[in-house]
Amino acid sequence: MTTMPEIMSDTQLQGYTDEQKYQVFNKEFMPHIDSMYNFAFRLTMDEDDANDLVQDTYLKAFRFISSFEQGTNAKAWLFRILKNSFINDYRKKSKEPAKVDYQDVETTYNSDEAAETEHTTDLRFETVQDMIGDEVASALNSLPVDFRTVIILCDIEGFTYEEMAKILDIPIGTVRSRLHRARNLLKDKLKEYAASMGYNKNDE
Amino acid sequence: MSGTLNSSTTVGMEGRQATAPMKESCEHQADCLKRIQAILDGGATDEEKEHFKQHIEICKPCIDMYHLEKCIKEALQGKVEKKCCPEKIAAAIRTEITK
Repeated sequence: MTTMPEIMSDTQLQGYTDEQKYQVFNKEFMPHIDSMYNFAFRLTMDEDDANDLVQDTYLKAFRFISSFEQGTNAKAWLFRILKNSFINDYRKKSKEPAKVDYQDVETTYNSDEAAETEHTTDLRFETVQDMIGDEVASALNSLPVDFRTVIILCDIEGFTYEEMAKILDIPIGTVRSRLHRARNLLKDKLKEYAASMGYNKNDE
Repeated sequence: MSGTLNSSTTVGMEGRQATAPMKESCEHQADCLKRIQAILDGGATDEEKEHFKQHIEICKPCIDMYHLEKCIKEALQGKVEKKCCPEKIAAAIRTEITK
């Protein structure tokens, strides 16, 4: 292999030396490992599956490192690989409890546009403020995985709509509408939860 | 108008009370909610930002929605536990790629 200059320009992506591969891997990929693990855990809801999914994803990322352009968004690139691995390898065997077919949910919500207009949760923000993390997490965990995913990417990981569109391979408009539906569902769950826990006891 | 709206944007009843009456109901609630979410996500278009500014201080249901959406987003960001990758997994990955 020919010697590469120390600083590579954007056009010299294809030929990383082994040493450069490790450098890119350690500098650009490894710092995201906790976010990646958290995403994997929230998708699979299982520690062993999350471990496997993160390992598989990182090994794939290493194998395909030549298609990663240095200086571009490594985190989004990694999340996309993880999401695809999850869909291809884990989704079928995932231990998700009430498995809801995404298409069904999406259809239900689409056919319900009129009802959506009326969708006003009487959930109060003070109620949410009083909740602890585990309560919010269990409401999140109870959402179908595609809805959970957009909320994790947007609210927990702080990806932009554009990044989410790339990670999920869907148009930005779909990102926005899916998020909107996901949040309506989440509010319903939070409200149910609050009611069952005796929050919202009623104002002064 | 390029001013970005961030979490410190004051949304309240003080601003326009003198000039415009507060609306007690909102006829565009679903659209407003989508706009509010885009604002909080930092993904709103200029048009949406402008509409939000015009609207948010005079519409009671929108103010309530704004506070609720913001509060849920903050709870997700700040309260939900972030799981960390076990060190043995990171170590296993490092070993595996050098094989």
